[in-house]
Amino acid sequence: MSAAEVVAAPRPEALTVALAGRQNAGKTSILMHLTGSIQKPVNFPGSSVERSEAHTQWEDVALRLVDLPGIASLHTVSPDERIAVDYLRGEADEPPPDVVCVVVDAGKLTVELRLVDELRALGPPLVVALTKNDVCRVEGRPVDVAGLQAAIGVPVIEVNALSGAGTHALEEAFVDASVGGPQDSRAIDPDAIARSVQPADDDQGPSLTDRIDAVVLHPVFGLPLLGLVVYGIFQLIFTGADPFIGAIESGQQALADVVLGLLGPGALRSFVVDGLINGVGSIVVFLPQIVMLIALVAVLEATGYMARAAFLLDRVLSKVGLSGRSFVPMASSFACAVPGILAARIIDDERDRLATIVTAPLMSCSARLPVYVVLIGAFFPVAWAGLVLFGMYALGIITAALVAWSLRKSVLKGPRSVLMMELPVYQRPSLRVVMGQVRVASREFMVLAGTVIFATSIVIWFFSYYPRPAGIHEDFEAQRQEVAAAVQDEQVREQRLAKLEAGERAAYLEQSWLARAGKAIQPVVEPAGFDWRTTVGILAAFPARELIVPTLGILYSAGEVDPGAYDVASLDVAAPKEDGLRANLREAMGSDGKRSFNPLVALSLMVFFALCSQCMSTLATIRRETRSWRWPVFTFVYMTVLAWLAAVAVYQMGSALGFGSA
Amino acid sequence: MNAAEPTMTTIDSKAVALDRLRPGARARVVHVDGDDTIARRLADLGFWPDTVVEVVRRSPFGDPVQYRLRGFRLALRRSEARRVIVEPLGDES
Repeated sequence: MSAAEVVAAPRPEALTVALAGRQNAGKTSILMHLTGSIQKPVNFPGSSVERSEAHTQWEDVALRLVDLPGIASLHTVSPDERIAVDYLRGEADEPPPDVVCVVVDAGKLTVELRLVDELRALGPPLVVALTKNDVCRVEGRPVDVAGLQAAIGVPVIEVNALSGAGTHALEEAFVDASVGGPQDSRAIDPDAIARSVQPADDDQGPSLTDRIDAVVLHPVFGLPLLGLVVYGIFQLIFTGADPFIGAIESGQQALADVVLGLLGPGALRSFVVDGLINGVGSIVVFLPQIVMLIALVAVLEATGYMARAAFLLDRVLSKVGLSGRSFVPMASSFACAVPGILAARIIDDERDRLATIVTAPLMSCSARLPVYVVLIGAFFPVAWAGLVLFGMYALGIITAALVAWSLRKSVLKGPRSVLMMELPVYQRPSLRVVMGQVRVASREFMVLAGTVIFATSIVIWFFSYYPRPAGIHEDFEAQRQEVAAAVQDEQVREQRLAKLEAGERAAYLEQSWLARAGKAIQPVVEPAGFDWRTTVGILAAFPARELIVPTLGILYSAGEVDPGAYDVASLDVAAPKEDGLRANLREAMGSDGKRSFNPLVALSLMVFFALCSQCMSTLATIRRETRSWRWPVFTFVYMTVLAWLAAVAVYQMGSALGFGSA
Repeated sequence: MNAAEPTMTTIDSKAVALDRLRPGARARVVHVDGDDTIARRLADLGFWPDTVVEVVRRSPFGDPVQYRLRGFRLALRRSEARRVIVEPLGDES
C-alpha cells in the first residue's frame, strides 16, 4: 500500500482530517477506534449545527479529526449537509481540512464511488476508508482493495468497524496523503469499477441477512416478534436496573445519615439533606435506567434491527404524523423520556423529529409509576388495579397520537415527510462503540443533573423551607415534654413522639412560601378536585414527578415516605392498611370536614400526572436537542394545559355522575 | 447528475412506476421523475438509469416496501417509489 512508500516532503506537525460519508457508513465507529472516545460535540463556526471532534497522535503528527454530518453527494438537501459541504469546499469561516477521509461501505460500492468521484474534484487529498468489507467477504463478494486503489488513484485502507483493525494504517495514510503529490482526478465510471473489483451480487443465494429478514419482517410474525423484543428490553431494564437504583438510594440514605450526625437541626442540615442530597438523588436515581436503555437501543441500532422496526411500523406511525423512525424514541420513553428524546436523533425529517420529541414525554415513564401505585393502592380494589394502571398508559399513547396529528396539521405543517431508509446487513455490534455512546449520553445527563436540575431542586427546597415562623417549634416542644412526662409505656411514647415530629414538619411546610403559592393557585386547581396539599405536592414535583410522593407524605403527616417502596408488586397486597401514606390519604379531612380524597380525586390526580410535564430533565433535554427554548416551553405549556383540562373533565364529569361522594 | 434527466417523451409503453410492481418482480430503472429533493435523494441511493431493482416485500401494513438494488436493501414509501419509472423485466424467477 502507499503507506509503505518513502515520503520525501517534510511532515506537518498537525493535520486536520475531515471524516465524510453517508450516515451509517461507519464514520462514528472509525472515530471511536481512532481515538478511544468521542470528544464533546462542538458547533461549526457561525452555526448551531454540531459535529464531533477528536484528537489523536500518529508518531510525531498531531491529528485533529472532524466528524461531519452524513452526506450522500455534494448536491445538498438539508442545512446540516450544506454546512458539511461548504466546509469541504473551503467556503466556510474556517480553512478546509488538510485531508478528507471518505468512509465507504463496501456493500454499496457503486453509489459510494459516485461520492468519491465528486469529492476528488474538491481539492484536498482523499483517503478512502473501506468499511464492512468483512460483511461482503461473508456474502462472497469482497472488494479487491488493491484493485480499487489502482482504479481510482486514491489510497484505500480497509477498516474493520467492529475490531478497529486497519485504523493505524489509516492514520499513516492520512499523513502520507498530506505530503504526497496531487492525486489522480480522472473521471471514473462507478459501475465499471465496481464490476471489476467486486463479484456481482446476483450470483449469490439468499444471504444470512435475507434469511433473518424473512422471519423478522414476516407479514404475520414480524409484529409479534417486535412486541417480544420490546417486552424483553423492558424486563431487562426494570429488573436489571433495580440493584443499582437500590444502591444509589441506600448510598443517598447513608450520606444523609452522616450529615444528620454531623449537623445539628436547622436550615443548613435541611438544605444539605432535603435540598442537595434528596434533590440530586431523585434525579441520579434514573441514571441506571437511562444507561441501560441507551446501551440496549445502541446495540439494537448497531445490529440493524431498529431499521426493521421502523419498516414494520412506519405505516401506523405516519398516519398520526410521525414516522417509523419515531418508534424507538417513543418506546424508550416508557422507561424514561430522556434517552427517548436522545434517540430521536436518528429521524432525518426535522418535522417528524420535533413531533416525536414533544410527544415522547406523554408516554408514561417509570417516574409516574410510584404516583400511580400509591393512589391505585389507596383507592381502588385490587381487582381494578391492573385495569386502571393500563388505562393510564393508554391515555398517554392516545393523547400522544392526537397531539402529534394536530401538530402536523398546524405548527409543524409542511410537505409530506419521506422515508428512504437503508435496511443494513445484520452485524454484531462493537462493544467499544456502544460503550462510547453510553458514556457520551450519561455524561450529558449528569451535566444536566449537576446544573439545571440541581438549581431547580435548591429553589424548590428554599421555598418549601422558608419562612420559619417562631412559635411552631416551641409549640411542638411543649407537646413533646408533655408526652414524655405523661406517657409511661416506652413504645407508645415513641409512637406519639414520631407523630409529633411528622406534625411539626407538616406545620412548617404549611407555613412555607411553597404552600402559600399552592394556596394562591388553589382556585385554578379546585375544579379538578385537588385540595391545597395536593396542589403543593404538584408544585414540589416540578423538578421530578415522583417528588409528589414524599411531599404528600409530609403534608398528610405520614412521616418519611420513600417513593421507591411503591413498586407494582405492592398492588397485589390486599392489606395496605398499615401503610402510612395510603391510610393517611384515605383518612385526610379538609377544613370543611369532608374527606380530601376519594377514588374520583385519585383518578383525576393520576390523569393529571399522566399528562403533565413535571420533569426538569426532560425539558432540559428538549432544550439541548432542539437548540432552542421554544420547544421546551411549548412542551411544558401544552402538557400542563392538557393535564389540567383532562383532570377537570374527569372530576367534573365524575361528580355529575355521582361518583364524587363515594 | 445524469440520473435525474427527464426523458418523459421517450418512455415506451412498457414503462410503469416502481410502486405498481408486486413483491418478487424485477425491473430496470428508466428514469426518476422530477428534479427536486426527492429525486436527488433517490439518485443518491442508486436509482440510476439501467439499474436493476427487485421488489422484496411489503411491510405488514402494505407500506413501505422493501427493495433490493446494487447489492443493498432499501425501504421506500409508495409515494416515493412512484417517482421511479421502471421497465419490468421478464419473469426469470
